[in-house]
Amino acid sequence: MLTILKSEWFKLRKSNIIGILLAGPLIGLGAGIGADTAEAAGMMNEWYMILIYMNLPYAVLFLPLITGVLASFVCRYEHQAGGWKQLLALPVTRGKVFAAKYVLILLLVLFIQLFYLAAIAGAGLYKGIADPFPAAIVWKSILGGWIAAFPLVALQLWMSVWFKSFAAPFAVNVVFTLPSILAMNSEKVGPYYPWAQPFAMMYPATENGDIFFIPWEQLITVIGGFFLLFYLGGYFYFQRKAV
Amino acid sequence: MEYIVRTENLSKHFGQEKAVSGLEMKIPKGEIYGFLGPNGAGKTTTIRMLLGLMKPTSGRIEIFQNDLKKERLNILKRVGSLVESPSYYPHLTAKENLEAMRKIVGMPKQRINEVLEIVRLTAAGDKKVKGFSLGMKQRLGIAASLLNNPELLILDEPTNGLDPSGIIEIRNLIKSLPSECGMTVLISSHLLSEIDQMATTVGIVTKGKMIFQDSIEAMRMFAQQSVLLKVSESDKAWRALLGRGMKAGLDNGIISLPQQSDENVAEAVRGLVEDGFSVYRVEEEKRSLEDIFLQMTREEQAG
Repeated sequence: MLTILKSEWFKLRKSNIIGILLAGPLIGLGAGIGADTAEAAGMMNEWYMILIYMNLPYAVLFLPLITGVLASFVCRYEHQAGGWKQLLALPVTRGKVFAAKYVLILLLVLFIQLFYLAAIAGAGLYKGIADPFPAAIVWKSILGGWIAAFPLVALQLWMSVWFKSFAAPFAVNVVFTLPSILAMNSEKVGPYYPWAQPFAMMYPATENGDIFFIPWEQLITVIGGFFLLFYLGGYFYFQRKAV
Repeated sequence: MEYIVRTENLSKHFGQEKAVSGLEMKIPKGEIYGFLGPNGAGKTTTIRMLLGLMKPTSGRIEIFQNDLKKERLNILKRVGSLVESPSYYPHLTAKENLEAMRKIVGMPKQRINEVLEIVRLTAAGDKKVKGFSLGMKQRLGIAASLLNNPELLILDEPTNGLDPSGIIEIRNLIKSLPSECGMTVLISSHLLSEIDQMATTVGIVTKGKMIFQDSIEAMRMFAQQSVLLKVSESDKAWRALLGRGMKAGLDNGIISLPQQSDENVAEAVRGLVEDGFSVYRVEEEKRSLEDIFLQMTREEQAG
């Protein structure tokens, strides 16, 4: 498993991934710098304000969409020129190849989240925010957003393994991501809609006693449940795929 | 006999279409097994099943006397393969392509230079593969298949896209593998001439069925050419030849002399001339693979 992951990392390292990793945090940075946080001055920690402004484009749209781009990316060079058959004719199990690709994408999403953290700090410094940096809450937001991406990554990996083209998995992703704008405003649907979870988990709510910004039950049932569903779906599809 | 590859009643159906049916492949150790058949005969499908890339509809595969289903990983550790068109990562150089595989098969780094040297690709080792010609990609594919120093090498149409000198080079390489490295080689092709020059054992497949499997010598018996004569008054001439005790056939006014030595052909021509027939043409019948297939399938049906 580790050897496959090393090989995957090697293949990825030699491709132009860095631009894709930086795009989201830069969008966030732009939103943060452009945010009008002055009205909140004195009423609440300005860092919250900036985080809310930055989260809107980033967690609602960019983070869910980028999972699909990354999944397509790590499968693209396998689809291009018979990579799958060469890889799967080596002494590897398909389950481990699937898992290695999955872990790789999760690592990339984690990098993006960390860049985003840097973007938050950057935007705040640019605006000269004097309030104390709410480190714990920001970390919750960063890690929470990462965990919320688990099921989305699993579904996108499934789609990317399935479809040779870049467009098909991306279309699936867009079709499910856009309604999350509506879903997150609905108390009924919002908590159960997987694509709305990154925003929910990154939104700095007031203390609720849980570790993350959504209740444990929601984390385990919605995020955990959809993760299992999508991961196993992709895993079993890949097991049977003829290459 | 020790078989490196043995399939039992191997079949693969795509819906109604039977790509491979009831295939019994037997590859003895140390042989170069030529897997011969026209396009679409089921060669690549069979090879994919041998590598576990595709699941058989029914039947059993044994490699190194182990069941492929149960021992897939251990078997693949000892197998090198090149399936259909060469596989590669376009964004990586030749060396990096091999490195990505080496990390998985776990050979020393030095092995990359060795296999590049074997296929004479050392000079292009640091170039991106997307700029390679088909022949260079093919060489890289062969290098990749040798990376883990396999005991069984499976090459699907390995000389595709190579220029004539490249074909000879690769052919000599393949021929040397059993004696020098103790490998058993399975090589598929749709060209009889290519198999003829490399293989020691031949399996011929058409429409998913194995119609012939034996040593190359046995196949040459089938493939022997006959000499065709175009003469005046062919019917009479044919009788005259038979009268001289020669084996001859008559088809559409053309006399055929099956499997004759040069002396016999000369004697037949001399006889015809002496008997006053005009000999217009003496030619060797060019028998394509298709003709041999037809002959074999006919004989199979008759038998």
